[in-house]
Amino acid sequence: MKLVCLSWSHRERSCAAREALAAVPVERVLAALKARGIEEAAALSTCNRFELYAAGAPDKAPCADALLSALEELAGASLGEFAEIRADAAAVGHLFAVASGLDSLVVGEAEILGQVKTGYESAKSAGMTGKRLNVLFQRALFVGKKVRAETEIGAGSSSVPSVAVSLAETIFGRLEGKSALILGAGAMAELAAKHLAGRGVRKLVVSNRTWERAYQLAARYQGEAVRWENFPAELENADVVIASTGSKDAVLSHRVVESAVRRRGGRSLFLIDIAMPRDIEESVHLIDGVYLYRLEDLEAIVAKNMASRAEAVAAARRVVDAKAEEFGAWADSLSSGRERSLKHSSSVS
Amino acid sequence: MLALLGTGLMLHVCAFAARLVGFWAFPENRWFLPVNSFFGALSYMSLALAAAFFFIEARKKLGILGAFILPFVAGSLGLAVLKADPALSALSPELRSYWLNLHPPVLMTAYAAFANAFGVCLALLIQERQIKSRKPTELCYRLPSLDELDALNGRIVAVTLPVLVAGLAMGAMWAYETWGRAWSWDPKETMALITAAFYAEFLWLRYFSGQRGRTPVYVSMAGFACMLATFFGAELSSGRHGFLGGK
Repeated sequence: MKLVCLSWSHRERSCAAREALAAVPVERVLAALKARGIEEAAALSTCNRFELYAAGAPDKAPCADALLSALEELAGASLGEFAEIRADAAAVGHLFAVASGLDSLVVGEAEILGQVKTGYESAKSAGMTGKRLNVLFQRALFVGKKVRAETEIGAGSSSVPSVAVSLAETIFGRLEGKSALILGAGAMAELAAKHLAGRGVRKLVVSNRTWERAYQLAARYQGEAVRWENFPAELENADVVIASTGSKDAVLSHRVVESAVRRRGGRSLFLIDIAMPRDIEESVHLIDGVYLYRLEDLEAIVAKNMASRAEAVAAARRVVDAKAEEFGAWADSLSSGRERSLKHSSSVS
Repeated sequence: MLALLGTGLMLHVCAFAARLVGFWAFPENRWFLPVNSFFGALSYMSLALAAAFFFIEARKKLGILGAFILPFVAGSLGLAVLKADPALSALSPELRSYWLNLHPPVLMTAYAAFANAFGVCLALLIQERQIKSRKPTELCYRLPSLDELDALNGRIVAVTLPVLVAGLAMGAMWAYETWGRAWSWDPKETMALITAAFYAEFLWLRYFSGQRGRTPVYVSMAGFACMLATFFGAELSSGRHGFLGGK
């Protein structure tokens, strides 16, 4: 079997080629390739990656240049300079590594597996997959799951907001039905609001010294804005408080938090201070039932998670290599006419 | 894990049935439960413990919590197998009362549920410490959330305390029928009352005083310590409850 892979990924600094390709729907790519006589092809298009896989019997091998010119025609841009071209075993290993998250910007991220699946499904529904690509992609999905199950490559959250959300979940369980108070209306506050709203937080309250900005941020996330002088009253109801104001002094003092806690009936209070200089007095962490995490605490957790992912890279790589070799042997056997078993019972589609 | 636990439970029920057949071979024991010996009591206790956890786990799916509760089952069963005499004997005339099927099993069921609550408390304290430390480990993400553990602890105790009180009341009625005195401040009775008092204090703190966090948890754990003292400690002192160890 012959396999060719063209890819444009985040490793290439210039994103012009990726941008041009991202604008072309995968269905159009597949249709154009079909029109040019390519029998088996699948494309994977994400915000920082475009990959095209084409396969055929050894006598009808797809040619990288032909694929490239087809793509250039569709994208209306010159792409060759930035393309990484792989063939056969290298292409198989690459797809397996991509599916495992080894090639991602944030190593081990989980979305890529779903994106590989989507790419495969579009190709399948376009009638562009035969035995070779079917087995290749099903195998890739299987390897992606196996690597995540057997190694720590995807363990732990990989960004400050997602760490904050997962910590909130260790305190409150599901965040649906909880309420959050956001102090400040800058970019960080907005990011926090977005993450919390995404987790189904019931009530989002925004408070900022400049009322208009609080109002605008609250409106964007169906929240509620309160005047700056009234925010301490909101502490009684909020479960999560995120502070990211530009204030020079602490805006949330020990005394204010303590008196709010007394009125909360013992419910836990999760405070996140991502402001620099600090917005929340450090000593509130000593109050029973109050948990204060500062930016550096969250960053330390992210760093720890990423370090354990990095440690897992070698193990993940071993799984990917072993599976790529296994697949290579199967692909060779296909050409020789005596098909070997790929232990398909263990593959997950 | 639930399936494995369920299988274990079924096996234990079978073993209990077999023991019942042996126990009923003594004509005077017919229709009474074999909870009159230390072995019988511990065996029933493990069964109740595992059954209570099975019930909680099936409803809540808390997974790792088993690590905090199932050791009690193993401990109780292990103690029965290693330290208690499994021999069966005829019941003393004093014990031949329908109260034998009510008073001890009801109380031991309450104890089993309290042991579950204690496991939840341990998990809760560990989780609290993890989050307070600002350096949570993998365990933190695997344990149920603080709120879930807190609610579960409260609910188990809220359901179990009335069972404990009912069991004590049954004991008092039995004592009144047999000895003419409902309460005689025997060590076991006293300890059981203190246990109930601790759990009542916990419920008051948790639900009425608006306190949560560690303090109520410590009170609930103190209740468990008293319960252990009731079950094991008071066994040693003779009195009206010397049946298990003494006989």
